Amino acid sequence: MFAFSAGDPSSPRSRELPAGLADRVRPTTPVAGRTLPVPPPLAPLFPAGSLRRGTTTTVTGPPGHGATTLALALMAAASAAGSWCAVVGLADPGVVAAAGLGLDLRRVVFVPHPGNGWAEAAGDLLSGVDAVLIRPPGRARLTAARHLTARARERQAALVVLLEGSGAWPEGGDLALSVGAVEWEGIGRGHGHLQGRRAEVRVSGRRAAGRVSECSLWLPAGSGAVENAEEEPVRTGQSAHGVERRGPAGAGPGDGPEAA
Amino acid sequence: MERLVVIRCPGLLEEGAEGEEARRFARALERAGELCPWVHPVRLGVGALPARGPARFFGGEEAVVERLAGTVGEEATIGVADGLFAAMLAARSELIVPPGGTADFLGPWSVATLARPDLAVTLQRLGVTTLAQLAALPAASISDRFGADAAACHAVARGESGELVGLRDRGIERRLRVVRGEDPDRGPDVPPPPSQPGFFGGASEADNRAARSFVRVQERLGVEAVVIGRLRGGRDPAGQSVLLPWGSPEVEAAGAGAPWPGRVPPPAPTDVLRVPLRAEVADVTGRAVAVSGRGLLTGGIEQLSVAGGPWQPVLGWAGPWPVTERWWSVRRRRARLQVVTAEGVARLLCTERGQWWVEAVYD
Repeated sequence: MFAFSAGDPSSPRSRELPAGLADRVRPTTPVAGRTLPVPPPLAPLFPAGSLRRGTTTTVTGPPGHGATTLALALMAAASAAGSWCAVVGLADPGVVAAAGLGLDLRRVVFVPHPGNGWAEAAGDLLSGVDAVLIRPPGRARLTAARHLTARARERQAALVVLLEGSGAWPEGGDLALSVGAVEWEGIGRGHGHLQGRRAEVRVSGRRAAGRVSECSLWLPAGSGAVENAEEEPVRTGQSAHGVERRGPAGAGPGDGPEAA
Repeated sequence: MERLVVIRCPGLLEEGAEGEEARRFARALERAGELCPWVHPVRLGVGALPARGPARFFGGEEAVVERLAGTVGEEATIGVADGLFAAMLAARSELIVPPGGTADFLGPWSVATLARPDLAVTLQRLGVTTLAQLAALPAASISDRFGADAAACHAVARGESGELVGLRDRGIERRLRVVRGEDPDRGPDVPPPPSQPGFFGGASEADNRAARSFVRVQERLGVEAVVIGRLRGGRDPAGQSVLLPWGSPEVEAAGAGAPWPGRVPPPAPTDVLRVPLRAEVADVTGRAVAVSGRGLLTGGIEQLSVAGGPWQPVLGWAGPWPVTERWWSVRRRRARLQVVTAEGVARLLCTERGQWWVEAVYD
């Protein structure tokens, strides 16, 4: 494993460099080639306003609080820009939701039931695609986590690890996003319908040099996409449906006893 | 071994003096091809197509068989099994052989079905008359004693292989081109290899690299393990999209994006449960809530229990959205409900015949 980027990962050079030199080699590809775009509302969470190739980003939250939406949304702009993306371990992926978040379905493959082979499958995919989202079953082994982090770095792919409830990632990610308090809007007691989920998202981790450490997002908005909820965005349908704001759910991490 | 649907037209298996059979067979395949684009001729009167993609698209292998039977416009018997040999026998007996059931299905058939008269005679002298008896013989001794072709027959009898020399008529494509009035020397008219958009023509190095990694995962976990999602028309979350094995033929999506009455408004749920979870819904007194014949809830929703779990207080709900649809000839009455529990989790529930189910979660 080498902490450097070769423009062409299949170039034989990348595997023949001595370890001492590899650390000092810098990629010759322009900066833009070393990042993957993210949807604009998510850009403030990232140091360069985009998802850096070769890094690991963890997304955590109580089950059912939108961590899956956030993790999928991280890959939306990249897939729309032509990058191949893979989703490993989401047992029942909502294809309509993924499309609504902006993922280009022609550029996304799912491995819903990798079983015990999830780490190996994710390793294979990190060699082939630009972004891999994995949801490890339960607690990942340290060796598997290290292997995947290193593989992502070596192959200059973005690794997104989705952790909900009992899931844990022994290797700290470069960037950690966590979904805190959430609140659904548009649904009343017997009227309206789910229109959007306002969620507080926190950023931390080694590379958490983003412009914000916490922001408020629609995960998702009524359009199905992720939107900024800091200043009240213009949302169609709000007046038409007489949105009733429910009190904040106020559930903190660990409050969700339900397995998703 | 690829799972195949075989269409067998018993009246068209042999060519008559007029050549009418080939023309009719070509037309039957064209009609079937409009339904499922991957239909190809095996021999005169016998066509085949991969089962998985169409089965997912049409809602099961039975549905594919039923639709094909109504489409080909010729007397036809249709069967489904793993591998071509078993699928052809299944078509003769109009059966859907379950996945992995090939060897059991083939067992009782005579060794004569292999269409190897010399081998059949020799085997029968040895007391081996059925495919099950042949399958029970050790592979090494078959190969040593009778040669490679017999070894291939043995693998077929064991359900390990579906292809046998002679099963496919290599001249059939050319013959059908002639009867269709096309240039017979245009080259084999086999469908292009199953592929994804982006892999045709100007496939980039990135596309090829991605494809190689998908193949590696398929080798590791099975061909079905890597799937792609496609949108299509439908009113329930599961019906609005379809997951297909990567590399399977793209099936034309019908009516994606069209307005469907009874459709639950967006945003869509992120977890669409292939296997819905049983749920219970109760009012403030703990009494079960149902949807009446007029499509109204019998009480306010205050509590939800999922899969026998603890009761959770309900913050809000929306619906019911009644859904009535014809599913074959059975009329189904269903209704959908969005429910948000106190911990902030939103779910899509469905009720049918008094039972509630969690269909999807908005994670």
